[in-house]
Amino acid sequence: MHLPDGIVPVEMALAGYACTAGLVAIALHRIKARPDPQAEIPRVAMLTTVFFAASLVAVPVPPTTVHLMLTGLMGVMLGWFAVPAILVGLFLQAMLFGHGGLTTLGLNGLILCVPALLAFGLWRQIGGRWPDFAAFGAGGGAVLVAVAIFAAIVLTGLPAELDARTERAAVQVFALAHLPLALAEGVIVLTLLRVLRRIEPRLLPHG
Amino acid sequence: MAETSARARLILALVLAFGFASVQGLAVLPLVMALSLGVVLAFGAVRVVLRRMRAPLVLVLALTVVLPLISGSTVLAQIGPVALQLEGLQAAALIAGRLLSIVAVTLALLATLSPFDLVAGLRALRVPALMTDLALLTLRYLDEVTAELRRAALARSLRGGMRGWRALPEHARGLATSLIRAQTRSERLWAAMRLRGYGLGAEAETPPLQKFERLAITGAVIVALGVIWLDRIL
Repeated sequence: MHLPDGIVPVEMALAGYACTAGLVAIALHRIKARPDPQAEIPRVAMLTTVFFAASLVAVPVPPTTVHLMLTGLMGVMLGWFAVPAILVGLFLQAMLFGHGGLTTLGLNGLILCVPALLAFGLWRQIGGRWPDFAAFGAGGGAVLVAVAIFAAIVLTGLPAELDARTERAAVQVFALAHLPLALAEGVIVLTLLRVLRRIEPRLLPHG
Repeated sequence: MAETSARARLILALVLAFGFASVQGLAVLPLVMALSLGVVLAFGAVRVVLRRMRAPLVLVLALTVVLPLISGSTVLAQIGPVALQLEGLQAAALIAGRLLSIVAVTLALLATLSPFDLVAGLRALRVPALMTDLALLTLRYLDEVTAELRRAALARSLRGGMRGWRALPEHARGLATSLIRAQTRSERLWAAMRLRGYGLGAEAETPPLQKFERLAITGAVIVALGVIWLDRIL
């Protein structure tokens, strides 16, 4: 789910850059407050590489195959590090594969970073008591939040006037089309976090 | 233009992309498209741009088909319940023109660089070191990890793994294994980085922009402002 260049007005693209810069500043501030942030860079980079590579591999979600977003999982596993990791991923995707865009990098950052941070918050709040519920909510919920932000930006930014009925129908179709992805990500994050909690709990330092 | 540094190319791409993204009317669009074609030719990037244009072209096609049918009030032609509307057609042309021009300029300037030069350019633009280090390490291991995940998926299917929805938990377990392996690899990597003196503050100085790069950036700013001005008066 990447917003390409040229779809939204330039004012919106600039506002996206400003909001994402604010988010990055907060995230870097939080990261620098950690005991040894530099020591975490290789771990975060290696995990980001796996997330990035996993999003390139198609997963069967009948009746089709999809590319996972894994935004919720990034939030749970990386915490505030998810913000710079997602932006790095978006920049590389735009430059290496032509997904997304240069002017929309800020907006795309918001579309993915906000759900990641919400997933992080959800996992931190209730992950200890109800880990399965929190994992499923973080995985599936992050997709739904990203879809909602994406739809809101596209509908606000399109230069043509759409009538209210068409607008509602477009949002409903878009959300329905992403429900299987949300369910799939919920199942994947739930299973994955169960495995990690049992075998390698060190990978969940932000829980 | 091939010897232009990554830092100058990033600035040029940002200036031109935002200049082109500011266009709101159709009158300036042919000029914008001609300018982007000029950049593609100047940087000898025709092949690279054409190869990577597939995804944007699909999107442009989808918008050009959908927007004229669902948006606007002035009907140009009607076949049964399907009506072609002027405002939707104009919006589709504007979005398509802007998108193709920006993508062409971005690809011509940046996709012709090696990913590592690109990250060096970001570092020279004072992007936080944490982000550039993340980008470098991600690039360094991306091919390896992607190949590993593809091998694991192939092995699962050769072993007669589940299909459809039932394959998801299996996929998740494979992903968990990759994450655990990544954690182990990162511990070795951190030890190697410390041994090489990472984080001791010895950073390479950024060389200043060359004269022709400063001229090119000034030219790009003038072009971008000129396009915006023409768009507002026409």
